[in-house]
Amino acid sequence: MATDSLSSARKVIVQLKATADAPILKQNKFKIHGTDKFAKVIDFVCRQVHRETVFVYINSAFSPNPDELVIDLFNVSFCSS
Amino acid sequence: MGCVSPSWDGTLSPKDFSVAAHVFTERWERNKSASPSWFWVNSPKGPPLLASSQHVEGYLSLESMCVLVSAEDSNEESCAVEEEAGFCEIEGAADNATLVQSKHHEAHYYDFHIVYSSSFRVPVLYFRAYCSDGRPLLLNDIEKDLPACSSKVLLETKWSFITLEEHPFLNRPWYKLHPCGTSEWMKLLCLGDEVAAKNGLAIELYLVSWFSVVGQVVGLKTPLEMVKSQRN
Repeated sequence: MATDSLSSARKVIVQLKATADAPILKQNKFKIHGTDKFAKVIDFVCRQVHRETVFVYINSAFSPNPDELVIDLFNVSFCSS
Repeated sequence: MGCVSPSWDGTLSPKDFSVAAHVFTERWERNKSASPSWFWVNSPKGPPLLASSQHVEGYLSLESMCVLVSAEDSNEESCAVEEEAGFCEIEGAADNATLVQSKHHEAHYYDFHIVYSSSFRVPVLYFRAYCSDGRPLLLNDIEKDLPACSSKVLLETKWSFITLEEHPFLNRPWYKLHPCGTSEWMKLLCLGDEVAAKNGLAIELYLVSWFSVVGQVVGLKTPLEMVKSQRN
């Protein structure tokens, strides 16, 4: 998963990449409020791929806690890459 | 320290484990999170019947992490604070330092150890839990303390389940998160992305990545600062 942001609004564009046996999504970029929790991303992906559980991680480095804010995750990933 | 190659199988050598453990504690410490610190416990004895090359002389330990267990959650807590405040007004001087004994809250203490498994060649999380009076907690009590999402995960996924086993260094029964799927999901996590696979994940960050997943199961958060700078 990769994150990008829009400079003006506090929204984050989440780019999803499928790995292993996960189905590839037709649309792989989604906009989400920075103030939303990561759990929302996980729930969203679950619904998109019709699975009960998914393993979501960032920049091939770590899997965040579901209650982290998306904007915090964006800031961290941005610093690291 | 090297980086992982595309053919990497998700495992860790004993030597890399020691290095990664060092980086992990350093980053945890630097972050100064509210929870207790991880520290390295030297234990030259270790599990018997192992060649010295396969042997890690010690393990990582984080002890007496306190979890307050409440009947309901935060709602009740704020309610209790209000009541207390009201009480102070009536009585006048109140000692803020006094311990408020509440029947709704019971302290559970957790000890966590990260031990290297020579057979799986991955880190394994061992833990035990006890009440403030030293009474050990059974697995069904522990499951109540786990975050809601992780008890669900424990039921549904095959890679994370808890078993009671002998602690390899202490020879006492401890709970452990079974490591049979660890190398697979670590491989997925570290090599899933072609770009990252090309750049290579530094092996010394293995434990940080590993713990970001495993810690969630037992409700231990990996501070975001720990993953911030990939290389110093």
